[in-house]
Amino acid sequence: MVTKHHTPDRKLALGTYSKHAPLLHFPVIEFPTGSYAMTTTSQTSRLTAAIVNPLMGSTRDVFTMMLGCEPVRESLTLRNSKVPAYDLSAVIGITGGATGTVVFSVARQTALNIVERMLGMKVEEVNADVLDAVGEITNMIAGSAKAKFASLNLSISTPNIISGSNHEIHYPTSIQPICLNYQSDVGKFCLEAGFAPA
Amino acid sequence: MRALVVDDSGTMRTIIKRGLSLLNVTDVVDAEDGAVALKLFQSGEFDLILSDWNMPNMDGLEFLQNVRGMNETIPFVMITTEAERSRVVSAIQAGVSDYIVKPFTVDVLKAKLDRWVPAAT
Repeated sequence: MVTKHHTPDRKLALGTYSKHAPLLHFPVIEFPTGSYAMTTTSQTSRLTAAIVNPLMGSTRDVFTMMLGCEPVRESLTLRNSKVPAYDLSAVIGITGGATGTVVFSVARQTALNIVERMLGMKVEEVNADVLDAVGEITNMIAGSAKAKFASLNLSISTPNIISGSNHEIHYPTSIQPICLNYQSDVGKFCLEAGFAPA
Repeated sequence: MRALVVDDSGTMRTIIKRGLSLLNVTDVVDAEDGAVALKLFQSGEFDLILSDWNMPNMDGLEFLQNVRGMNETIPFVMITTEAERSRVVSAIQAGVSDYIVKPFTVDVLKAKLDRWVPAAT
């Protein structure tokens, strides 16, 4: 497995969810498990289920407004693999009244197509512009969804981008993440999310 | 007129600058966070500020508060995903002039900017 970590200036280390955390390079992303000891799987599952509709709504809005295409959801499944569906993943941490993670996973060609739609320029390889554009799409999806949960007073981290075939993303053991698979004019992508009460 | 565009995403800065160019505003300086933007603002003259909220080093709200401490009238438009009522109220209390929620269409961006570009010239 070859895993590359792209941490431009605006990207943050995972697991801390702090905007001002130093940049770190993890071969595998691990989330803390101890703080979830008192929560039940059903609580986390309910919370994760509650975020699905806002996430689908914000995904539709972001793709329609920023990329000029309407994504079509192909499936909603439980996430049972540590390996995201595609080679490029943007990860955003959410903290506040709930703690969670949103992962936007795209194929490399989908990422290139996103940049072309957003900036009107053709790119041939994954570069800083591509990472920035994918991160910003993820930021808007997660940010719009969190706005639907004002009572939880949630905050989101800036996105961290990971690329490489078979890279792994680990959630706390008490969380059962879900996976939304989409098709769109820019290509296939997957949105993962998992939440637990704070 | 001269505009200051602040966002930690280069992609968003490009999109916002493109929106300004549709209104013939081409004298644009950009910054990747509030701290850099504040230094630019202190050392130069600007007629319009467009800023993101969530940024490293200094976020958009703190940047707005600093700007208002020095200039009470310059149009300051927040462009952000922070759409919760409490966040909007905080921005209004700090003196924001307008608010654009991400995501947005080019038409919405142009319409919002169109409101402030004449005021800033």
